[in-house]
Amino acid sequence: MITDEIDIEDLIRKWNPKKTDLSVSVSGLNHYYGEGDARKQVLFDNELHIRSGEIVIMTGPSGSGKTTLLTLIGTLRSVQEGSLKVLQNELNGMSQDKIVELRKEMGFIFQAHNLFESLTAFQNVKMATELVGQADKQSKPQIESTLTRLGLGERIYYKPKSLSGGQKQRVAIARGIIHRPKLILADEPTAALDAKSGREVVTIFQELARDHGVTIIIVTHDNRILDVADRMVKMVDGNIVSNVLVKRAEIICQILIDHEKRTDSKLKLFSQLTPTVLTDVADKMELRQYEPGAEIIRQGDIGNEFFVIAHGDVEIVVDGNKVNELPAGSFFGEVALIEDAPRNATVRAKNKVACFILDKAEFQDVLDKSASFEEELRKAIFERQ
Amino acid sequence: MMSRVPLAWKNLTHDLRKLTVAVAGISFAVMLMFQQRGFNNALFDSTVALVKQLEADIIIFDKGRFSLSAETRFDREALDIAASCPGVEYADAVYTENSVAFLRKQGRKARPIRVIAFDLSRPLLKNADGQVIDLRKIAPDETAMIDELSKIEYGFDLAPGTDDRPKPPQIGELAGRKINIVDTFRLGRDFANDGNLVMSSQTFEPYFQYRQFGDPLGVVDLGLIQCTDDSPENLQVVKQMLQQRLADNDVLIATRDEFIQREIKFWAKSTPIGVIFFIGAIIGFVVGIIICYQILANDIADHLSEFATLKAMGYSNAYFFKLVLTEAVLLSLFGFIPGLLFSMVLFEINASITGLIMVMTVPRALLILGLTIVMCVISGLLALRKLISTDPASLF
Repeated sequence: MITDEIDIEDLIRKWNPKKTDLSVSVSGLNHYYGEGDARKQVLFDNELHIRSGEIVIMTGPSGSGKTTLLTLIGTLRSVQEGSLKVLQNELNGMSQDKIVELRKEMGFIFQAHNLFESLTAFQNVKMATELVGQADKQSKPQIESTLTRLGLGERIYYKPKSLSGGQKQRVAIARGIIHRPKLILADEPTAALDAKSGREVVTIFQELARDHGVTIIIVTHDNRILDVADRMVKMVDGNIVSNVLVKRAEIICQILIDHEKRTDSKLKLFSQLTPTVLTDVADKMELRQYEPGAEIIRQGDIGNEFFVIAHGDVEIVVDGNKVNELPAGSFFGEVALIEDAPRNATVRAKNKVACFILDKAEFQDVLDKSASFEEELRKAIFERQ
Repeated sequence: MMSRVPLAWKNLTHDLRKLTVAVAGISFAVMLMFQQRGFNNALFDSTVALVKQLEADIIIFDKGRFSLSAETRFDREALDIAASCPGVEYADAVYTENSVAFLRKQGRKARPIRVIAFDLSRPLLKNADGQVIDLRKIAPDETAMIDELSKIEYGFDLAPGTDDRPKPPQIGELAGRKINIVDTFRLGRDFANDGNLVMSSQTFEPYFQYRQFGDPLGVVDLGLIQCTDDSPENLQVVKQMLQQRLADNDVLIATRDEFIQREIKFWAKSTPIGVIFFIGAIIGFVVGIIICYQILANDIADHLSEFATLKAMGYSNAYFFKLVLTEAVLLSLFGFIPGLLFSMVLFEINASITGLIMVMTVPRALLILGLTIVMCVISGLLALRKLISTDPASLF
């Protein structure tokens, strides 16, 4: 069951990022190519905020500006208009020296492997550790283990000439990640790889994101790896047309559908929602954690939040008497919102509990968007009474 | 500890075929420069060889003698005055003839040759190796020694004799009179003279009766002064004294080193020859820059995306600067060594064909090494521009 597999601490950290956790923050970004009459706008007022440790997959037709955006984030192009913060540094107006320093905290994986033919796989990778001043004693075993991990254990001291295309690409990937960058920018990293090595590469990406908080932005058309994305960004004609936290929607769906299946409830509150509304809801939800025994809502209080239990169990107490218990995947708190009345019961955490929370305005917004949601909700309230 | 990946070395030596072509190109430029400088030096070395091999601290010569090959002479009386000067140990006369001195072997064409004559009372001339020449063999009348490095076209056997097997005299005709060539010595040709003969002044006199009206030995080409004390300070003192005493004799007085410098200056500045060889060396230098630039620029162009990747990774321009300069200096060293070896062989060949003195000295080799490095570094800097302007954004 997904609820047991989720590392709740990690989930909470990722779900409610602090402002300082933003790894990339794009705001009001415009970009132009050419001069004078030939000047052509390629990015239009882009807005994108990426949290540390997120894996972002960017898609879009060629010429949509995704590569331009990627090179801007990677400091390989200078910002012309708007704000672009990468790893807490404003790139607009940054000096060249600082940019060179900042690049050392990033890892680049290009579509072409760009390895020096004259250097062995080991030496090619070592070019990256040298740059950050890592000692040989430290970097040697690290390079060897990374290359071994990528299936190149037998070929560490081979030159690119004796490596296949996929092997070369894996060496380039090792070079892009070896120095523990905080941000990895990858352009079709798996295009040249077979399914098995492609999977190994994304697994490494996931580990880096989870264990080291590395943010990874991948431009790709490889649908084999779309499942690793925390966020999917789609660009068309220089605009970000969709920016979805797929992992969130996925997690919430899993929790809810799981619950609906388990309880065999006739209520299809969330499964009735269209994916768009669902991801929209997911995006707006806050995740909050409660210690055992904590009161989540108190009877008689003004209610302005809607709760979905992500993890743990809660007790429903009315006038001091426990009336019910709800498992993960259940929701509560809707009555006070719909009827604009005080809370009619106290809800207390039975064990360690985490809840997704939607505030009143957002809740109303969802109601307005989805007739079926409202209908199902009313049915639920009716059944409960 | 961190040992750097030797990228410059690896990139240069990775493709041996390319490296060979590169080294061949640069050594060609090195050879060009060596040849031009070599001829230039040979010109100077050869023209001053006679003065270097004469025993003299101070040299007296006619005011009009702008160069050794100019045949203007001064009155012997000046030498007699010089001899009586305090500090002067010996004052000897050297007589030379080249424009009217023709040497002929029977059955061959007469060819001009430089004739050098002096009193045999003292050994005034040394061999090229610094050994004093035994002049007793040319004491009899009508005998002379020929320079081993004279042109082969004279027709004489120029091989040196040994003590065990002295050379039989060879009979020739000098200025229309019979001459016995009894031995050889070693001096060398220059741009004005194809060969040399040495003889006593008694022998010299009847051959060149018409040097002037009256006594042929009454006019002197070079006056050789040997001082009792040959310290540089004293030479200046003696020189000044001679200048005072000979103020009315229309002569110039110079120490031997000054004379050599004056001669070199004449050839370098007053004739186009020095300029020609200088331009030749410049051409070698420029050819070298072009070759070296091609090699470095191609290398950079071939690896442009790799370099751009390094840039994206955060390598600074300073790194690329160092990288390209290292490659340039390595290339110059790779190219210099074979260039030097080939040039030494060529010098030998040239010297044997032309009879010019072509020597490779350490300062001369170092000069060319310096020029080669400068040449490659200039090319490196030109090639670097391409690398600096590489845009890593083009990689995506």
